[in-house]
Amino acid sequence: MSDFSEELIRSKTEDDKEESCVFSGTGMSFPWLQKHIGTVETGGKKEKDFAQTTSACLGFIQEALLKHQWQQAADYMHSYFQILEDSDSHKRQAAPEIIWKLGSEILFYHPKSSVETFNTFADRMKNIGVMNYLKISLQHALYLLHHGMLEDANRNLSFHCTYIPHLLYPFILQLLDYREVVHEDDYAYNTASQNMFDHSWKTSVNLRALIQTPGVWDPFVKSYVEMLEFYGDQDGAREVLTNYAYDEKFPSNPNAHIYLYNFLKREKAPREKLISVLKILYQIVPSHKLMLEFHRLLRKSEKEDHHKLGLEVLFGVLDFAGCTKNITAWKYLAKYLRQTLMGNHLAWVQEEWKTRKNWWPSFHFSSFWAKSDWKEDKALACEKALVAGILLGKGCRYFRFISKQDDQVLRKKIKQIKKSVKKHSVVNPGL
Amino acid sequence: MDFPSSLRPTLFRTGPLGLSNVPDMSFMCSWRDTLTLPESLPKNSENGAPHLSTGLLWEPETPGPLPLLPPGPDPWDPGVTAQDLLFRGGFPFRRKPQAVLDVTEQLSRFLWDHGDIAFAPLGKLMLENFKLEGARSRSKKKTVVSVKRLLQDLGGHQPWGCPWAFLSFRQRRFSILGGPVLGKSVASLLGELLYEELATRWEQLLLDDAFTGGALAWVPGRTAQVGQLVYPAGGALDKLCFQEVSLTPGGDPQALGDPGHIQLQGPVRQVVTRTVQGESLLAVRSDYHCALWKVSKQGRPAPLQVLQVGKGATGISLSPHLPGELAVCSRSGAVCLWTPQDGLQQVYKDPETLVFCDPSPWRWADFTAHPRVLTVGDRTGVKMIDAQGPPGCGLLLFRGGAEASCQKGERVLLTQYLGECSPESLHPTLHLICTQFSLYLVDERLPLVPMLKWNHDLPSAPLWAQLLPPPRPGCPQPLLLGGQGGHLQLLHLTGEGASAPRLAGPPQSLPSSSDSLSAFPLLEPKSQWRLQERLKAPTIGLAATIPSSASEPVLSLFQLSVAGDVFYQRLHLQADPGPNSCASTASWTPQATACCSRWLKALLKVPPAPPVWAAPTFSHRRLLGRMEQREVEPKGPEALRAAMAEGRLLRQRDLGSLPSAEPPPTPEPGPEDELSTRLEAAWEGQLATWWERQQGRSSGPGRQPKRRKRRTQLSSTFSSLSGRLDLSDATSPPHSPDRASPEARPRPPVTPPSQESTQELWARDVPSERQQTLRDYMARLPLQGDTPQGVSLPLSQTSSIRATPSRPQTLPDGTAELPPRRKTLRGATVSSSQTSSIRATPSRQQAPVLSGSQPHRKKPRMGF
Repeated sequence: MSDFSEELIRSKTEDDKEESCVFSGTGMSFPWLQKHIGTVETGGKKEKDFAQTTSACLGFIQEALLKHQWQQAADYMHSYFQILEDSDSHKRQAAPEIIWKLGSEILFYHPKSSVETFNTFADRMKNIGVMNYLKISLQHALYLLHHGMLEDANRNLSFHCTYIPHLLYPFILQLLDYREVVHEDDYAYNTASQNMFDHSWKTSVNLRALIQTPGVWDPFVKSYVEMLEFYGDQDGAREVLTNYAYDEKFPSNPNAHIYLYNFLKREKAPREKLISVLKILYQIVPSHKLMLEFHRLLRKSEKEDHHKLGLEVLFGVLDFAGCTKNITAWKYLAKYLRQTLMGNHLAWVQEEWKTRKNWWPSFHFSSFWAKSDWKEDKALACEKALVAGILLGKGCRYFRFISKQDDQVLRKKIKQIKKSVKKHSVVNPGL
Repeated sequence: MDFPSSLRPTLFRTGPLGLSNVPDMSFMCSWRDTLTLPESLPKNSENGAPHLSTGLLWEPETPGPLPLLPPGPDPWDPGVTAQDLLFRGGFPFRRKPQAVLDVTEQLSRFLWDHGDIAFAPLGKLMLENFKLEGARSRSKKKTVVSVKRLLQDLGGHQPWGCPWAFLSFRQRRFSILGGPVLGKSVASLLGELLYEELATRWEQLLLDDAFTGGALAWVPGRTAQVGQLVYPAGGALDKLCFQEVSLTPGGDPQALGDPGHIQLQGPVRQVVTRTVQGESLLAVRSDYHCALWKVSKQGRPAPLQVLQVGKGATGISLSPHLPGELAVCSRSGAVCLWTPQDGLQQVYKDPETLVFCDPSPWRWADFTAHPRVLTVGDRTGVKMIDAQGPPGCGLLLFRGGAEASCQKGERVLLTQYLGECSPESLHPTLHLICTQFSLYLVDERLPLVPMLKWNHDLPSAPLWAQLLPPPRPGCPQPLLLGGQGGHLQLLHLTGEGASAPRLAGPPQSLPSSSDSLSAFPLLEPKSQWRLQERLKAPTIGLAATIPSSASEPVLSLFQLSVAGDVFYQRLHLQADPGPNSCASTASWTPQATACCSRWLKALLKVPPAPPVWAAPTFSHRRLLGRMEQREVEPKGPEALRAAMAEGRLLRQRDLGSLPSAEPPPTPEPGPEDELSTRLEAAWEGQLATWWERQQGRSSGPGRQPKRRKRRTQLSSTFSSLSGRLDLSDATSPPHSPDRASPEARPRPPVTPPSQESTQELWARDVPSERQQTLRDYMARLPLQGDTPQGVSLPLSQTSSIRATPSRPQTLPDGTAELPPRRKTLRGATVSSSQTSSIRATPSRQQAPVLSGSQPHRKKPRMGF
């Protein structure tokens, strides 16, 4: 009894000093602080043997997990359960979560573990402490779903659906995500499952409310929209997607715009509409593969500023390290540069080139790339040589290297490039 | 580029860190991470569990890493530990540990070791109250204490903290007399500074960010099997070594020949290499300099340029896109793009931190998928900056806050661009961000929302990370994470094309160098302890490579410790993970133990580092009685003693040639700095007036009457002392014909009066009846032999600074050809105060020499 009251008092006073783990001044906390303090000999009172053994045991379990020694970890876990009898109420309360975390990890990877073992463990853990019931149920359901035990998972969850607190949304959504994936299969191939159908409708009502919450809900939005489309609710789907893409409280998720664009494309929306959606995507992700499609739309447009933007988009795509070998982009650029220059829009090209002229030559048109592109992809090298020639003049290394190559197949093409460069080069517009 | 077609669902919250009370379990269970992505769920999931690479494991060949190179010839000392800094009397086992810096012990150590510095000025003031010679006090004044008796009483007692020490009446009286004066000056002035210093050391012990990024690099050679390790060596880590290493598929890595080296003039903190467009570059960061080399195909480095960073550099990165382009960041908050051709271009400057206020001046910069966009990081967040855009704008990539569900006290320790443009790798837009708790993968196309979060639980600060190419086509990419304490973790990342990055299996930990202890033969305790300390030395660099040609992928991992040791380990990818596969335990091979024994033999030949501090042996009685002179003495003190014995002036020629000295920097009077005003007064010879002024100020009405009485007693004796001094004489500088140059006038501002000054003190205008006895006493004083030598220790050390003329020649564009020559006693631990030490030490060095050249008998400069 005295021990217990002491614990109460101690935990109270120590909670007040919560700040003390943070070193004064910097505000940063150090997980290894205790290790340093532990090395200092003290005349103060020692940690209890019980606490020492449990914390050592925890260390062993973590070590075994990180070394993938599942059997060893399971053996240690067996001993670690003693922490549930710790007299320190703080530790006792934190214990079930740690046990669940480590235990589920072990059982997931242990070669001799089975679904039954996992179920037993989860059911036992749910009943230790009310706080963990929900969390463990959700994760348990997730596990079951992954093992294809949809019915069990449903039974497991249906009980909680009414009072799941707001903060657990991410967890539910992860689950629902799987349900949706499964449902997708269901209504596409197995409409007979009426029970599932009902269920999906019920959850969709919940989901509609949930996607109003700021976050990333890609799989959910995708499935939800598909479902709405399946029911023929095009306006509803459009509203969901527009809201998902343009709500300022949401993070700027490129997928939101991509989904909206794909939806509008399916709907055969006017080109203007598609351009306006892709314009925003262009601002977020100028390197996206849809940008080439965007360029095509802009090229086809009648407006002059769209034509200008079309050039900008191509330059923008090729700025990125992951797109340097995109032959389509180079092909488009080579073609469009010629087209722009023929249309007497030298100023557009110069504007784009102004910010790039000090780094594009070494980024794209170095002699290293000339050699390696020629070796790997001659078509790419030819397109790049044309662009290099137009932008840098025929003195540029890349162009010179390619134009000197003697290739039977490409001889004609190289000749054409030389001609184009002579005609269009930005460097000496007079020639 | 493809963007993941569907991202993992997450709530998006904004707000400060530590507010999230969403259950944080999602970042701990690796199985959940592998499950929760839709892509991982095959459509035929009805058949059973989805395929997971549960057996993905890199198996170490030996239970611990092995030494690659013999230990360096310089002794190594672990430096300050928590035991030296923390108070030992507290309750250690709190739920929330608390560190209390032990200022008192450090202060008492300081007082014992450098009592001269602490007490000399006060001793001078209290000279009237001491009787240095003679058994009995002839005067009836109770305020005069006989030193001899006092020392006799003290003699034999152990220093600090002995509660049973016998207190004589004399000691008691002395302590009552001197207590308020001594206690105030030492405790208040020094204590504060000491606390500041201890706090800095303690912070450094908890997190030493100087080596962020790592000081070990692997430069691939002409073939996959040969490469070079580049790392710093030497006691001060100022020798950049290039060691050729061959990696044979079957056997251990072999060092080929002796390493080539370049002697630098500062400790190396970070070594970065990158091969861009076939050109291998090597960038090195020191505390105040950055340098760039080009490594030829034959592996020879050719210097390109050196950059001087006035405020101190904190990070350097090489561009993966453009050859020879670097990003350098400085403590001032500036980030610059640096190319040898075009010089520096400041991209960003903000002394404030990004998200919230944090005092750390640490900054980091790296590149992104766009060659003109840089990431700029500090402890609170990471921002993307367009080098061509208008200054001040940018987009936060990572925010230490609720967006990434950061914990309270969580800070960014490392950010790294993981871009690699090979087709089978992760998206080239990913950035790794490490904090002390977790690692985050952030895609620059979706800022603020981490694509992956993993709670790494490393027991030390993760300051190194390296993403390796996939060992086999289709295999996940290994991401190595290294902690300062040598802890290593290996994560398996997948997610190319349209899928989001995720963990492909449970992360694994790799053996650290302290696991190698069992490979060494058992030693006698002292050597065993030394070996243990050596193996536990903090890691400062990490390099790994997977030679691509080998049939079975082998990961060679090199680790550099602060003691200069390079250890390696080899890991095999477990061939075909069956369902029942389990980690097998590696064991030591005879070759491995033989290698360790050889290394140990060489280590034990290295003389151990001299102890930084030893408890003083304490008997003043013996000290007073010891007369014999030291045999080997520097010329200065000898000449001084001869001059004193003959009672003549000490001249310049007596001392031989003095090193040409710069004038000491003029004192900068701080607004309220009591110590410096006092010292200034002392130099100008107006200590007595200062004291009186001080008396008048401090004996305010708020004091207790009893103390005031003591004070008035004291001040009356002091005023009698000052009355006898010829103030007008003392204030004007003495005109000595031997003055070498006017700038040799000694006025070092903050030079603590060391024992030279105490010597002069004896010869000051003391009552005439005592002068002769004092002089006799002075001639016998053993301190003369001891002290100048004590001072000559820093002298010889600093003279090397002064002797070398290679000051950095600062070019107009801020680049310098040569970094300054500088040596530190322990390069690793003395990091931040290095420039100041360059400036501060010469003045200290001059003090003894110049004060020696003073005419110091008849017309002593007041105060000295």
